[in-house]
Amino acid sequence: MPNYTYRGITLSIPDNDSEYKGYFEAAGEGRLVVKKCADCGLLRGEPGPACPWCTSINWEWQQVSGKGTIYSYQVVAHTVIPSFRDLTPFAIVLVELDEQRGQPTEFDGLRITGNLVDADFNMEKEENVGIGKRVEVAFQPVSEGFMMPQWRLIDEPDDATFTWSHEVPAG
Amino acid sequence: MAGNPRDKYCIVGVGETEYSRASGRTTRALGAEAIRNAINDAGLTPDQVDGMLSYHGGDSTPSTSIQYDLGIRPNFYMDCSGGGSSTEALVGLAIGAIEAGMCDVVAIFRSMNGYSNIRIGGTGARASAPIGGLDLMKRPYGLISAVQQFAYTFTRHMAEYGVRSEDLAAIKVAHSNHASNNPKALMKHRVTVDDVMNSRWIIRPVAHLLDCCLETDNATCVIVTSAERARDLKHKPIYIKGVQGRGTKPGGDFHYQHGPITRVAGHYVGPRVFELAGVKHEDVDITGCYDAFTYTVLLQFEDYGWCEKGEGKDYVTSGIINLGGKRPNNLSGGHLCEGYTHGMNMVIENVRQLRGTVDCYCSGASEGNHSYDYSEEGGCRQVKDAKISMNMGWGTPAVGSSLIMGNVLN
Ligand SMILES: [Zn+2]
Repeated sequence: MPNYTYRGITLSIPDNDSEYKGYFEAAGEGRLVVKKCADCGLLRGEPGPACPWCTSINWEWQQVSGKGTIYSYQVVAHTVIPSFRDLTPFAIVLVELDEQRGQPTEFDGLRITGNLVDADFNMEKEENVGIGKRVEVAFQPVSEGFMMPQWRLIDEPDDATFTWSHEVPAG
Repeated sequence: MAGNPRDKYCIVGVGETEYSRASGRTTRALGAEAIRNAINDAGLTPDQVDGMLSYHGGDSTPSTSIQYDLGIRPNFYMDCSGGGSSTEALVGLAIGAIEAGMCDVVAIFRSMNGYSNIRIGGTGARASAPIGGLDLMKRPYGLISAVQQFAYTFTRHMAEYGVRSEDLAAIKVAHSNHASNNPKALMKHRVTVDDVMNSRWIIRPVAHLLDCCLETDNATCVIVTSAERARDLKHKPIYIKGVQGRGTKPGGDFHYQHGPITRVAGHYVGPRVFELAGVKHEDVDITGCYDAFTYTVLLQFEDYGWCEKGEGKDYVTSGIINLGGKRPNNLSGGHLCEGYTHGMNMVIENVRQLRGTVDCYCSGASEGNHSYDYSEEGGCRQVKDAKISMNMGWGTPAVGSSLIMGNVLN
């Protein structure tokens, strides 16, 4: 893939990037994908070269629903990246996908990082971020054939097992 | 555990440069000075040092350059990629190199212009460089700095166990009290919980500015040799009772895919280092628990078993970790107040504490004459009769090391 620039950052995804190139190619088509082991069939949240469960190096990309739950988060009040200074405070969320939750062991899940954004891809308000909130992937157009996966709140009940949010300081 | 080298090796020399934010020198110059100070501290000469180990993140000077500067000709050296929790692990590797017959005396150093030149976490000048690989999944979303790399663990822990910012601030308060009795510390004044709470937010809800360590220009060095050799050197031998790490959680860099996300590497490192050292928690007099951020301290106290999971907030606010308390932590002020050295300063401090000659403001400190009066700034920070110390190094939530030392044999 050519280099792309997103929020002032140059993204280099060479053709031999066997981990992330397929992920961003699919995102460019509006599809969220994860790697699926071609032997044991388990999905993995990090698109690594081998299956953490059976060591198989045979895999294929698999499209997922793009829905999930906020598993943890951070609100950036101060950023060290100059091109992000105008965006603070903004939330970065760790989203646990609906697929394969709590499998193959209790604490496992497919977890992906992104920003929590509103309908216009502006950063979502801080008071709306929280563990247990339901979200859906949204693909932010960057340039021809390239989109960045982001996350939006959806109108579904919070996760039944655990919810939490911090107190947003006044002002 | 086969071949446990308990008490067979010692740290015999420690040294560092000034903690500053403008060293005005290269990491080569800093490294040479720190190693020189440690060699002199041990009562060795450069030709007696025949091993070198260092760790770096592309921000230091190789051993082979500093060898020239100090007239050291190693029979063994390695410059390892590393950061927090490397110090303890390299003490273990030094023992391994000596056991293997490759060398006899190893100088371990870390040198960094961590404020004026290359700041940790790819921040500053590095922030605008093109990115690839696993950074693609994080930096486009604004996730770059060290506290951000750890924050998913911190936030989820806060949520599950009800930790408050005030609890974290107590750690900074304790370490600042210790630093107020350390002439070397970059930040010597005592702070209050309110000072921490009123400092500006960096990452909500887990870190105000004063919850973060001080980026520092500095070099540090410790020297390892056999206990047999140590007995002829200048100071009381400080025995290495057990060392373990760098150990990791399942998943390494991608530990947050597994879980529990609130667990840190100490869960795995702790039982092994206690067994190697042949000591129990209650035998330990002082700790050096890595304070890159206040939260790293709390998490490690839990997962090394100083309290139950979820009770770290009670442990750090109980007074136990304060000078004068039952088991004070980071007596030099640590990364939060003395300066950020990727962990080596906490090992150096514990060596000096165990010698009984810590460099506080007491006039007879170097001869071991201390007031043990901790009440005022500019006073004493020597712990009375400390015999066993434990360092707990942090690399990430997934990476840690530990070192137990003592001034007595088991
Ligand atoms: Zn598999």
